[in-house]
Amino acid sequence: MTTTEPTQAPAQRVINGRASRIDPKDYPDWFKAKRRGGSLIVHPLVPAVMVGLPILVIVAIVIYPTIWMFYHAFHDTNMMSLFSGDWAAVGFDNFGLVLSSDRFLSSIERLGIYLLFGACLQVLLGTALALLLYEGIRNNLARTIILILLVLPMMLPPSIVGVLWKFLLQANNGAINHLLINIGVMEATARIEWLDSGLSLWSLVLADTWQWTALPLLIVYSGRVSLPPAVYEAARVDGASSWRVLSRITLPMLREIIAIAFIIRFMDAYKFVDKVYVMTSGGPAESSELPVFVAFQKGIREFQIGEAAAYAILIFLFAAILVTLFLQYLKRVLRAQQTQ
Amino acid sequence: MANLELIDICKGFAEPVIDRLSLTVEKGEFFVVVGPSGIGKTTLLRCVAGLESLDAGRVVIDGKDLTRVPPYQRKVAMTFESYALYPHLTVFDNIASPLKARGLPKAEIAQRVGEVARLLRIDQLLGRRPHEVSGGQKQRTALGRTLVAKPDVFLLDEPISHLDAKIRHELRRQFHELEELRQVATIYVTHDYAEALSLGDRVGVMGPGGLQQIGPPREVFDRPGTLFVARHLGQPSINAFDGVLEENGGGLQVRSETGFALPVAQAHAGRLRDRNEREITVGIRPQFIDVVDAGVAADGRFLFDARVDLHEALGANGVLIAKADGQSLSVITSTSAAFEPDEPVRLAVDPNRFHYFSADLGHNVLL
Amino acid sequence: MGKHNLQLTRRLLLAFLAVWLVFTLFPLYFMLVTSLKPVDEINRMVPTFWPETMQVGNYAGIFADPGSLQSIVDSLIVSSANTVLSLFLGTLAGYALARYLRGPVGENLAFFILSQRMFPPVAILIPMFFLFDATPWGADSHISLIILYLVFNMPLATWLMMVFFRDTPRELEEAAYLDGYRPFRAFFKVTLPLVFPGMISVAMLCWIFAWNEYLFANILTGTSVKTFPVHIPTFTQGSQTLWNLVMAFSLVAMLPPVILFIVLRRYMVRGLSLGVVKG
Repeated sequence: MTTTEPTQAPAQRVINGRASRIDPKDYPDWFKAKRRGGSLIVHPLVPAVMVGLPILVIVAIVIYPTIWMFYHAFHDTNMMSLFSGDWAAVGFDNFGLVLSSDRFLSSIERLGIYLLFGACLQVLLGTALALLLYEGIRNNLARTIILILLVLPMMLPPSIVGVLWKFLLQANNGAINHLLINIGVMEATARIEWLDSGLSLWSLVLADTWQWTALPLLIVYSGRVSLPPAVYEAARVDGASSWRVLSRITLPMLREIIAIAFIIRFMDAYKFVDKVYVMTSGGPAESSELPVFVAFQKGIREFQIGEAAAYAILIFLFAAILVTLFLQYLKRVLRAQQTQ
Repeated sequence: MANLELIDICKGFAEPVIDRLSLTVEKGEFFVVVGPSGIGKTTLLRCVAGLESLDAGRVVIDGKDLTRVPPYQRKVAMTFESYALYPHLTVFDNIASPLKARGLPKAEIAQRVGEVARLLRIDQLLGRRPHEVSGGQKQRTALGRTLVAKPDVFLLDEPISHLDAKIRHELRRQFHELEELRQVATIYVTHDYAEALSLGDRVGVMGPGGLQQIGPPREVFDRPGTLFVARHLGQPSINAFDGVLEENGGGLQVRSETGFALPVAQAHAGRLRDRNEREITVGIRPQFIDVVDAGVAADGRFLFDARVDLHEALGANGVLIAKADGQSLSVITSTSAAFEPDEPVRLAVDPNRFHYFSADLGHNVLL
Repeated sequence: MGKHNLQLTRRLLLAFLAVWLVFTLFPLYFMLVTSLKPVDEINRMVPTFWPETMQVGNYAGIFADPGSLQSIVDSLIVSSANTVLSLFLGTLAGYALARYLRGPVGENLAFFILSQRMFPPVAILIPMFFLFDATPWGADSHISLIILYLVFNMPLATWLMMVFFRDTPRELEEAAYLDGYRPFRAFFKVTLPLVFPGMISVAMLCWIFAWNEYLFANILTGTSVKTFPVHIPTFTQGSQTLWNLVMAFSLVAMLPPVILFIVLRRYMVRGLSLGVVKG
């Protein structure tokens, strides 16, 4: 890289001895002509390669499957034709099929229930528990131990959690039913059919809540720990009640952290499929199918490739909207943190 | 031999910061750059150090053009305003860092670090981490890291401005005394004019685009080249009145819009007539205005009446803000003086002490 | 409203915490109990909440089974190799994003990389299988899982490392340059030690994700390579699930992440919240 010589002689430089900044109309020629200067420290290609490498890896892995999906979403591919290689273009038929199917529409309804009573509730519960733990338990060691105990379910693979709850929720000799009988909530002969069509979705929500309430709990707890104590001392001097402190100080200051916990949980819940697969396989009779699981089922079990691809694309588009919204928010939060 | 030459250097980010700045700092010279915060003083140092690449111009050290040479190959040492001490290393390892970079033998490193640490009186702290020492000691450690390297050029960025007054005074004295700094070219950056005037062999006042005036401290203070320079050196800042130059019975006077009129000294009148600028700004340093008793003789001075707005007693002296014919002005008073708001005062000023700046670009008309 | 009322509220709230603690711990307790029972006791019509016959041998049983041991080895290979790769690439990219690409271009790149983690992987499950099946090593291999998990872990690692690098002042590296260190050495001398705790948390999150992943492992692999989440449901005898072995193995497999969490939880939260909580 060569350094360009200034085009104006230094003697002609206009020094405005009154102003505290250069007037844009007096900007020198070298500045108007200037391109972003290269660093003396590393060659500009070095960072490009450093960032390019992972992007290349991702693209290499994801690009083919993505194109494949988009291609087959517009074809009537099924298992037979996939291997024989003859499939026909069907335009938007697959999408029409998906959008008009009851199976898809009711799975969306279930997703709504699941997100509301699963993900949302988990964040509310997690937040409440985190603050309770922090404010309610004075002993440091006890607090840490309880925190670790509460977080244990998160350390299990989600699939194993599905296996575990399937075991616990068995109607006849499941531990949950018999626990309810033992503590006197239920008659000895009564059996709740947890995994039957009426309750299977709720059982999934239960298992999921058992495992993932810990995530917002952990995030909000750590957020609370990092709040400056000085604010609370000031509030105590002012004689504010605990409720007021919570609603006027703690919750507003944790607002962004709770939002981030919520979004992370929401995105994960949307992708959620392991537990459905293991616990109920969407059943009985499709009663606990969520959209992502339907796509999975269509592709892997029923081998309706074209339809599955259309599902996948719809799911992908919806996710893209969510992801974009989320990242916008995250950008704002991180910017605000940096300017602090 | 000239040690550091900056030739027409240019650097801009979102807007131009340094515009064709040329400067030569001799070997052994202590050059102080003073200017308001955010004007580009640190950028200037970073350009010299090679942390920023120039948009145009050249950096020459000892006759070698280093414009495109990366910082790790320049023999330039710099202290950062934030000290930039390595938090995970001890004071010893921080100071030893430049020597380790060159792969010197352990014994020599220990010896040279020891010397520098004794010189800076931090030899008791060598085993500590930066977070375990005070602000002044951090600064000494940062200074030690630059001294130990025996560089060709020293760059010191606001080295003492974040310290409390007592330590600042002590370190300031140390800068005067450090023999090491007297053998290489040093650029010292500060926003504090008093520091600049007391430390610098020469002082450069940085304004928008670069150095507006370069010269020995006394000269820069006494003969400011521009209104910007005059305003920036001195606390409280110079009194400046915008006015119109007009004839007044054989002499000249400057009259402000509010009607406040100041006579022009005979010595200045010829020059001002030659320049023929009608609109002009008069600058009067607060220390050259005196509060006098009502009956006192003019004695070549200009006497006028004003009313007290505010008086602050600052210990060594006081600052009086008074209003005369709608113009507010500050006056440095003695410690013992006491004023009540709205009290009438009589002020005296020697017109020979006035500076005149052109109204459009602010250049000193008398120079 | 009085002091009495406040005390009552406080107690009720603490009772709620206690109830939740019981709800959390009961399934784990029952896992433990089940892992110690013989099969016929598990299959009784009324489950016992404390084993009548203590059968500690179940634990020895899973380690005596070569398939179980192999699944642990497979899981270790996949999650460790994936973690190393994710961390290496993520550190490179995170560093470049934090130091050299601070403008809008870099920001968009960072968000693009992060977004890759958030898309539902199920959308590309089928073609992914064909893609890996067409490679020389085939879908049913360690390599395919190691590479596939990069899609999830590398974006997370890149993003988090970027956040951590941004927290280390650039001036420290610049001071090192002026001391005479070249960029590579300056990185190792100054920056790396400072982001090391962050790297540990990133490594841990990547490792736990790969360790626990089930869906892709189940679809892509399962014959020559079988990670433990895929292996656990295969503890059957005829049509009967050997719940005691399932639970014993699950508890054993849970230990590494739990220990990692207990030791490093302070760093982990930072990672879990995508860098928002400073911890």
